[in-house]
Amino acid sequence: MLWLCASFPRLPIELRQTADVEPVAVIERRGSRRRIIACNPVAEAAGVQVGLDATAALARAPALRLLERSISQEARALKALAAFSEQFSSETCIDAARWLVWIEVGASIHYFTGLTRLGQKLRTEIAALGYTVRFGLAPTLEAAALLSRGRKERAILDPRKLRPILGKRPLNELAADGEILEALSTAGLKSIAEVAAIPAASLARRFGPHFTAYLQCLLGDAPDVRRRYRAPDRYRRHFDCTYPIDTVEGVLFPLRRLLQELQGYLRGRDVALQGLSIALEHRDAPPTRLELRMTTPQRDAPQLFAVLRETLERTTLPEPVTDIRLSADEFITPSILQTDLFDDGQWRAAGWSAVLDKLRARLGEDAVYRLGLNDSHCPEKAWCVRSDGKDAEPDTLLERPLWILEQPRPMDRAPQVLGRPERLEIGWMSGQDSSRDYYRAESPEGARLWVYRDCHTHQWYLHGLWG
Amino acid sequence: MAYLPAMPVLTSSTVPDGLTQLLHSARVWRGRELAPALAQSTGFARLDERLPGGGWPLGALVELVPSACGIGELGITLPALKALCAAKRPVVFISSPYIPYAPALANAGLPLELVHRIVVRDDADARWAAEQILRDGTAGAVLLWSQASDERALRRLQLAAEAGRAIAFVYRSPRMLANASPAAVRIALAPAPGTVRASVVKVRGGQPGAISLPVTGTPH
Repeated sequence: MLWLCASFPRLPIELRQTADVEPVAVIERRGSRRRIIACNPVAEAAGVQVGLDATAALARAPALRLLERSISQEARALKALAAFSEQFSSETCIDAARWLVWIEVGASIHYFTGLTRLGQKLRTEIAALGYTVRFGLAPTLEAAALLSRGRKERAILDPRKLRPILGKRPLNELAADGEILEALSTAGLKSIAEVAAIPAASLARRFGPHFTAYLQCLLGDAPDVRRRYRAPDRYRRHFDCTYPIDTVEGVLFPLRRLLQELQGYLRGRDVALQGLSIALEHRDAPPTRLELRMTTPQRDAPQLFAVLRETLERTTLPEPVTDIRLSADEFITPSILQTDLFDDGQWRAAGWSAVLDKLRARLGEDAVYRLGLNDSHCPEKAWCVRSDGKDAEPDTLLERPLWILEQPRPMDRAPQVLGRPERLEIGWMSGQDSSRDYYRAESPEGARLWVYRDCHTHQWYLHGLWG
Repeated sequence: MAYLPAMPVLTSSTVPDGLTQLLHSARVWRGRELAPALAQSTGFARLDERLPGGGWPLGALVELVPSACGIGELGITLPALKALCAAKRPVVFISSPYIPYAPALANAGLPLELVHRIVVRDDADARWAAEQILRDGTAGAVLLWSQASDERALRRLQLAAEAGRAIAFVYRSPRMLANASPAAVRIALAPAPGTVRASVVKVRGGQPGAISLPVTGTPH
């Protein structure tokens, strides 16, 4: 096994998606103490640092805005990141309290032709989600985590190298309680090797079984039996807005990330979406619901985003948005998506229906359609609006005009007809017996008309034009 | 999703072979106007002769100004539409004054699964839809009926057509002929016995002039 650990040192602030115009920091309360656990670059530039007391931070940056830490939001963000990472690996673990996601890469390395490329790809995609990430790579989960938190990103590929390399590192890099680390350090220990040299039994007596188990898992002396994370089969994502958002543009900003995450999830399962529901929640008003329907299954964030943008721009928000909930239940494994690399035509078809979906989102479902043929003798029934399905065979013997009117239009006076009529018996099967004599005619402007005379009423109608 | 449209055929060339080759090679810089125009044959040899590249320019605006509806304004585009469909590029009618009649289109050889129609409330929506489709580049042609008198509105379409290498046929009313147009080709159409009279009013890199075209769908 080889684990890549992605550590998100700025998760608490980056998940809030605050604009980088004012200093913002996230604080954690411990008794009466309020400690900074993350801050944005503006705050950093003003001298705010992680670990600082809120009062001290405010002294350095009086305009600093403080946000309370939300453990549940962090957990949601990490789960979304884990679901997103499933596209790179079949095994994923998370530790929400430490802002860590692990993916097993041993099996994927050949697929991605090397670790470097995998790392680059993952880094780019995570950066696109708006997160800072640090990587560590090692045969055990905890060793990978430890390496990801060091000053330099490092990798250990060989399990036999775990002990010699990790042993040299200072003991305060261990993921253990501050009290344990302090006790060890007071006892005169400095490196991890020195801690590992103490017999396990005495360590367990002094610091409890958890600490020894941790050390054994770190160094690969005992298997890590941690539970693997598996994203649920129905996709749910809840995002609470840091501040209520009152513009459509403002809502699009977090949605872009949510769709990127969803794309990772879809790719990980090799499925595509036919529909997507989004609820924009407000403080008092009932939620604004958006239902996206796709003609062709989609799984690319940019295309989903384009459809969503069109839908949203046609929506009025009754109140500012406080929460966003995204859910998707229907997934399909369309064969076309599996051959995508080889079949340009299929991709083109998928791209084209994405364009049509975008048009429908703005213009309305009925505004965009395909022209279809019906097997009907009656001219106005010989064509139809079609969304899919097969057409009747065209009757190539009939000469028909390129334009037809929605309904035959009565004419004020008899037109100047040319040639002989074509008689059509209309509706004799449905009992509405009527016959029409169709002629070509010419209008005073030189337009070529397709007209008919009702054989019973003798009324003339305009029915088409030879465009 | 990158989709590169099938390379269009460079139609008709009266230049000798060796020279053609030299001109088509990337080493010769010939200025913008004379660069080999990507074109789709109109299906009418006499019209192709007047157009740069020997056909409707792919990636440009073609303005058609019929004196009335039903004189062959649609027929003039049919051979090109058929060829674009054969290359699996859809064609889209936007805001057409009447319904393109499916039986006639099928008779003319258009595969109906590639023929779409868009009905909109106003001209702005129509132009927006045209722009989206042209820019995407999957569709081979858009046929748009627009009342827009604003040159800038049409220029946007010209840019979108360029981006997607599609043909933007824009049908406008005769009174617009007095105004300037960003179109690469501008043709006024008038009825004539058994034919349609096409006056090429403006053609970037081609020859203006009037010709009569036998147009399918006008069986006189």
